[in-house]
Amino acid sequence: MNKLFISIGFAVMVLAQWFVPGKMILDQERVLAEGTSYKFRTRPIDPSDPLRGKYITLSYEMNKAKWIGEAPVNWKDNVYVYLKKDKNGFAQATQASNKPLKTDQEYVVAQGYGVYNDSINFQLSFTRFYMEESKAYPAELAVQQAASDSLLDNCYGLVFIKNGSAVLENVFVNDTPIKEYVEEGQQKNANL
Amino acid sequence: MNSKIEKELDELVAHKIVTPQVRQDIKQYYATKETDRPNRLFAIFGVLGSVLTGLGIILILAHNWDDFSRTTRTIWAFVPLAVGQLLAAFTLFKNKSAAWKETTGVFLFFAIGTSISLVSQIYNIPGAVDSYLLSWLVLAAPIIYLLKSHATTLLYVVLLVSYGCAVGYGDNESPYWALVALLAIVPHYLKLIKELPAGNLTGIYHWILPLSVLVLLGAFLNSGFSIGLLTHVCLFGLFYNLGKLPYFNAQKLRRNGYLIIGSLGTVVSLLIASFSYVWEEFLPEKISTNDTVITISLAMAAVAVLGYLFRKHKLLPFNLFQFSFLIFGGLCFFGFSQPEIASVLTNILILALGLFAVLIGSRKEKFSILNYGLLVITALVTCRFFDTEIPFVVRGLLFVAIGAGFFAANYFMYKKQLKTKAHE
Repeated sequence: MNKLFISIGFAVMVLAQWFVPGKMILDQERVLAEGTSYKFRTRPIDPSDPLRGKYITLSYEMNKAKWIGEAPVNWKDNVYVYLKKDKNGFAQATQASNKPLKTDQEYVVAQGYGVYNDSINFQLSFTRFYMEESKAYPAELAVQQAASDSLLDNCYGLVFIKNGSAVLENVFVNDTPIKEYVEEGQQKNANL
Repeated sequence: MNSKIEKELDELVAHKIVTPQVRQDIKQYYATKETDRPNRLFAIFGVLGSVLTGLGIILILAHNWDDFSRTTRTIWAFVPLAVGQLLAAFTLFKNKSAAWKETTGVFLFFAIGTSISLVSQIYNIPGAVDSYLLSWLVLAAPIIYLLKSHATTLLYVVLLVSYGCAVGYGDNESPYWALVALLAIVPHYLKLIKELPAGNLTGIYHWILPLSVLVLLGAFLNSGFSIGLLTHVCLFGLFYNLGKLPYFNAQKLRRNGYLIIGSLGTVVSLLIASFSYVWEEFLPEKISTNDTVITISLAMAAVAVLGYLFRKHKLLPFNLFQFSFLIFGGLCFFGFSQPEIASVLTNILILALGLFAVLIGSRKEKFSILNYGLLVITALVTCRFFDTEIPFVVRGLLFVAIGAGFFAANYFMYKKQLKTKAHE
C-alpha cells in the first residue's frame, strides 16, 4: 500500500477515534450548560455492566402521559413526552405523541409500551447512573432503608434537557447527592 | 533444533545412510528456520500482554473513580487512546516488525473500548451494551487494514459476534450491522488467502469465520423450528460446498473449517429433524418473510457454488453431502403436509450420509472419514431409541451389528492399506 494512503488512512482513523468520544462529550456538555434542569422522582436498583462498571438503574415515577398521538404504538417505539415543571422543580408529563409537536415545551424521547384509555405508558431513557463500585449497592440499600424508616422525603434524578437530549447529571436523596448520602451512611456505620 | 532429529541424524551418519555433509546441510536448514521463532514468540507474548493490559485498564476504569472531577476523568478516558495511537504511529511509520504491529494493534483496540466506555460512564449516557459495542467495532475496523494485525482481527470478530448476539438474541432484532462488520474483514481475509494460502493462521480464519456466521445466523432468525432447521441445513450445505472448492479441498482437513463445520452441522441438524415431533413444529403460518428470504438466499448461494464446482468438473465422484441441503429442502415442503413420512425420509437421508462417509473413507483410505460415517449411523440409531418403542432385544442386536460393522470396516480398510503398501 502506498505510504501516502497509509498516512491518510491512519490520520482519518485517529481523528475518528477522537471524534466519536469527543462528540459524545460535547453533546452532553452542551445539554448540561444550555439545557433546562428537571427533577424526576425515582428509586434506584443496582445492576452491573461488564465493561462500564457498576451503576444504579433508576425506576422513575413518571411513566404515563396523556396520549395525543396516533395509535397503535408498538413495543419500545420512540415517543415524544412533553414536560413542565411544578413549583418544586419536579418534572410533570403533560402530553405524549409519536411525532414532535409544534410547541415550545421541552420534551424527552422515551420508549412507549402501549396506549390505554387515552394515556400512554413509557420508560424514560436516562435510567443509568454510574457509581463507584463500592457505593452502588449501598445506595440502593440506603434509599430502601430511608423509605422503610419514613425518612425519605425525596429521591430524584437531576436531568438537563435540551431539544429532546437529556443528560442525567446527578441523583439526590433528601436533596443530598447520592454519593455523599451513601458516604455519610457509611461514616455513621463506621462510628457505631 | 530438535535433539531427537539430531540423534537420528547421528545414527543415519553412523550407518552411512547420509553423509556428514548432508547432516550438516540439514542442521543448517533447521538453524535458519529457527531464527524466525523468537520473533513469533515475541508476537504471541506481546499480544497476550496487550490483551491483559487492555482488559486490566478497562476494569480499573470501570471502578468509577468518583473522587476525581469530571474533567480529570474525561482526560483519563483519552490517555490509553493517545498512548495506543502513538504506539501505532511509531510502529507504522518506522515500519516495525509484525510482533510490534500485533501488540500495538491489540492495545489500541482495547484503548478504543476504554475511551468510549469511560465517556459513557462519566456522562451516564443511556443505551445498552450493543450500541457501545457497535461504536467500538466501527472505530477498531481500520486497525485491521492499517496495522495488518491478525490478533486484532480475531478480537474484532469476537466483538462483532458479541454485538450480533446482544442485538439478535437479547433485543430480538436483526443485527444487520454485525453483517456489515463481518463483510468489512472479507478483503483482509481474501488477501491472506492469496498471500499465505497454506498458513496455520489462514487455517484459523477458515474456522473462525464460518463459526461466527453460524452464530450470527441464529440472531437473524425468528420463526423457530418452522424454517430454522432448513435455514441452518442450507448454511451448512453452503459451507460444505465452499469446503469443496479447489483451494479449500487442497488444504489439510484440519484447516478446512468450512468442510468440517458443513458436514457436522448437516448431520446434527438432520439428526434433530429425524425426531418426528420436530416436524409437528413445521408450521407454514409461523414462517416470517425475513427467515424465508435468508433461507432462499443461502440455498441460492449454495447452488451457485455447486454450479461453479460443476463447471470446473469437481462434482465427481458424486458426494451426497454436497446435495443434502437440496434434498432436505424438498423434504421440508413435503413435511408440511406429511410430517410422519418426512421424518422417516430424513432418517433414510442420514443413513445414506453415514454410508456415503464410510464409502468416501474407504475410497480415500482414511480411517477418520470411515469412522465418522459409522459414528453418524450410530448417532442415528441412538436417536431412534428415544422416540420409538423398539424392543430391548432388537436395540441390543442393532448395537451389536453396528459394533461389528466398526470392527469389520476398520479391519478391511487395514487389510486394504497393507495390500496397497505391498504393491508399492
